[in-house]
Amino acid sequence: MNERIKALCRLTLDGKMYVRPTPVAAVECPENMGRIEREADELCRYIMNQEPLLSEHMAFCGRFNFDGSVVGDAFKRGGHKYTQQALNKYYLKPQENLSTMEWQHATADYRQVLDIGLFGIMEKLKLSYFALEDERRDFSLALHKVAGTIIRWCEGVSRKIREFAKAAGEENRKRLTRLANNLASVPKHGAKDFYQAVLTIYVCFSADPDSVGTLDRYLQPYYDKGIADGTLTREEAKEYLQELFLMLQASTPKESVHFTRGGESHFCVGGYLPNGQDGFTDLSLLIIESMVELPTYIPQVTLRWTEKTPTEVLYKVMDLERQDPHKRIAFTNDEKRIKCYTEICGFPYERAVNYTMVGCNEPAFLGAITGSNSKGNILRCVETLFHKRDEKILAASDFDSFYSLFEEELFSDLQKIFDYDDMYNSERAKDYSYISSLFFEECVYSAKSLTQGGGKTVTASPMLIGVTNLIDSLIVVKQLVYDKKKITMAELIQALKNNWAGYEDTRTLILKTAEFFGNDTDTSSTVSKRVYDSLYRFYYGKKNLFGYPWLVGDLLGYNEHHKWFGEGTLATPDGRYSGQSLKFAIGQSEGKDREGLSALLNDVAGLDKAGIACGSTVTNLYLDKSLIENEGSFRSLVLMLEEYFRQGGVHFQLTYTSKEDLIKAKKDPQSYSGLRVRVTGFSDYFVKLKPSIQDDIIERTVKK
Amino acid sequence: MKATIFDIQRGSFVDGPGIRTTVFFKGCNLRCKWCHNPEGIDREIKMLFYESKCIGCKKCKSVCKSKACILCGECAIYCPSMAREICGREITPRELFDIIARDKHYYKNGGGATFSGGECLLNPDFLRETLSLCKENGIGTAIDTAGNVPYESIERVMPYTDIFLYDIKCITKELHKAGTGVSNGLILENLKRLKKDFCGRIIIRIPIIGGFNDTEEELRKIKAFLDSLEIEEVELLPYHTLGVHKYEALGIDQTEFSVPSEGQMSAFREIFK
Repeated sequence: MNERIKALCRLTLDGKMYVRPTPVAAVECPENMGRIEREADELCRYIMNQEPLLSEHMAFCGRFNFDGSVVGDAFKRGGHKYTQQALNKYYLKPQENLSTMEWQHATADYRQVLDIGLFGIMEKLKLSYFALEDERRDFSLALHKVAGTIIRWCEGVSRKIREFAKAAGEENRKRLTRLANNLASVPKHGAKDFYQAVLTIYVCFSADPDSVGTLDRYLQPYYDKGIADGTLTREEAKEYLQELFLMLQASTPKESVHFTRGGESHFCVGGYLPNGQDGFTDLSLLIIESMVELPTYIPQVTLRWTEKTPTEVLYKVMDLERQDPHKRIAFTNDEKRIKCYTEICGFPYERAVNYTMVGCNEPAFLGAITGSNSKGNILRCVETLFHKRDEKILAASDFDSFYSLFEEELFSDLQKIFDYDDMYNSERAKDYSYISSLFFEECVYSAKSLTQGGGKTVTASPMLIGVTNLIDSLIVVKQLVYDKKKITMAELIQALKNNWAGYEDTRTLILKTAEFFGNDTDTSSTVSKRVYDSLYRFYYGKKNLFGYPWLVGDLLGYNEHHKWFGEGTLATPDGRYSGQSLKFAIGQSEGKDREGLSALLNDVAGLDKAGIACGSTVTNLYLDKSLIENEGSFRSLVLMLEEYFRQGGVHFQLTYTSKEDLIKAKKDPQSYSGLRVRVTGFSDYFVKLKPSIQDDIIERTVKK
Repeated sequence: MKATIFDIQRGSFVDGPGIRTTVFFKGCNLRCKWCHNPEGIDREIKMLFYESKCIGCKKCKSVCKSKACILCGECAIYCPSMAREICGREITPRELFDIIARDKHYYKNGGGATFSGGECLLNPDFLRETLSLCKENGIGTAIDTAGNVPYESIERVMPYTDIFLYDIKCITKELHKAGTGVSNGLILENLKRLKKDFCGRIIIRIPIIGGFNDTEEELRKIKAFLDSLEIEEVELLPYHTLGVHKYEALGIDQTEFSVPSEGQMSAFREIFK
């Protein structure tokens, strides 16, 4: 990285590049002003008063943040009154120990503004205006006004930079003048070159500071043109990308706990293009290399793997990943996801390929919001069976009869999780999102707010916590109660009702002999597939209140849902005590997977043939660090994970460590302050994690 | 037909090229003082007891249903502190093949099954049948042997074997006898014949044991011997102490050896370049 980027890097990591909101005094609005007009008016006044952050080192500028006094962006949701009310009621507060409300993500589709600029978007709004109903017309006018305001604000910033440049040295003045000139052109008009394209994204990111989406795809034409006509070098492109990434890091204030977490500003490279070809290019590689070279935590990137991705590309990206101390790279499988999005969600192929990973690890479509991020306690149905419907299961003569009873409870809970999710969304839908909707093509076309389902291709993806506890519980019942008859159902029920007290031997038998998930035995694979088949049968064809198709996931996010749900869940057949945390994500679990990495990967890859779990799914692999020290072993690891994708695995992310190091790090955080781990989709310093999450990571098996 | 094995390692990146499943057979006719798999020396199934893990709860006694140990494993199952462990289980070729085949998709790029031990070639008929099942199903095979077996045993498995991982500890006869309890005459003779008869890959594996064979002189003798056979592929495996705890569980005293330094290993690798 060059000296200019190094200087910006220091400022960013010192927290000096975060753009503090400029307070704007409230103004009394005329009484006859409608809500939409008033909210848009307040927003525009707020934007116009925002002071840009200027630095002599910058080649880009134009970022602003909201302070909650007006209706801001749809990610942070400042000023979203109804969302705030719903958060006060439901966020971090488990309902019936079954559902918790969570944050949502949305991914702007920058292609429209890159193609036609804000002027072009304003023209589109004008054209569609007369075909709209009254309320939509108000919203359309509001979007038009906001677009015009951003243009005027950029023109004002351009003038301020020109003034600022006068006092700068020659080299800086030249760069700043170029910036000032270009800010007068973009995002007002479409971008003409790579620099303008990056500047457009830089400015517009303020409108939805969440994900830059499929960056390589929409920057590719500008990159190709610049390289071909000699107006851009690879080094210059890298410099621009690095400044863009530094802005993403600086979007979070340093005092926030999220500053060192990689769970925001997640984006993708590679993957299938609409023409069916693999989209990984030299620019994709440059994007990852540029990002990894920066000593920052944000953003993180996922490689979308396809069957056409050369092994050497996977090797190269995994190699960058193993060298990245900040763990910013993850991997997902397009084959499985595209199949799911076309066959289960019913999206046309050219839309299905247009997804990105966002947040911790949520799939999102460009120009759409994720319809749900709520968390569900999937283990509660097992608790109900053993603690409340024990007479019924005592009468079940075989595993199939037992499974029918289980499925009744499962479906009943899933329906409630479903209903809760609709309730959260209906509360949030009372808000309008003005500035974010502007960068979502379908919102512009239909003049419908992003918060009200205005996006084009959307999915709802509740995350089911405790999936491996559930599968393991069913394995115990099948293997040890029905197949091998080592335990009677009556004994198991009593053991659970007594929280294993007096039944310690039964618990030991279970822990030592059950063929738990991840061991790739006939029992583990049969039971896990059956559970996912049930999930498929429940969710297939269902749509949420906005009409979004449902997928499921197992992601935890930043919060301790697994702990809260666990605290309210009585003992379960997998050997779990009452009150013990639930497991999250699909991957290693506290030494219960004993047969090696290939066995674990077989069970994970094989459990969901249909792809109903192509929502926010995470497979965390904790591997012994010796695996990456030997080149031969590392290459074998690459080939193994490539094959895992071929077999149907959806996702993986890696942490190289040892159990001993993790235990020592918990006891002696000062000595392990640099130990960074993958948690549930985001990465963070191990010593900064909450103790319950540290414990969960320590319990995960580290594969050798 | 059955054999006794003590471990199966799936998804292994060692013991041969690529991604492998390694099967460890019980029974060995060498007595290497540094052995890191001492539980594989005896052919019989054994109860391991880790005294340092025992919490004295006597659960093992309360669950035991017989007067003399019949190796049923119940005490190991119910031991809450993992102080007891049954080492070894009988398996048929078909059962073993079914486990190996579960990872078939990972064996591309030169991977496959490795049969190790102990000395796997003490079970030539069992091996031949398992190997043939692998070959019929397109799975690559490797035999990890110390070579101290009748040559007929090697001949039995040769048609179904892709790779021999052949251990050479030293050339000096007296040293070999002192370190392993047996002479290396048969081992070296078998390697000569194998090189002549076998058209697959032979990889020589030399454990570098501090205080035993970690001298330039000894390693140069090995090099000269291998050169005379025109064998070039050699792996040097540094002695490690990861198996030390197993000696405690078996109630055997272990001779202490030192771990070669990285500098020593680099110098020794130069000899075999």
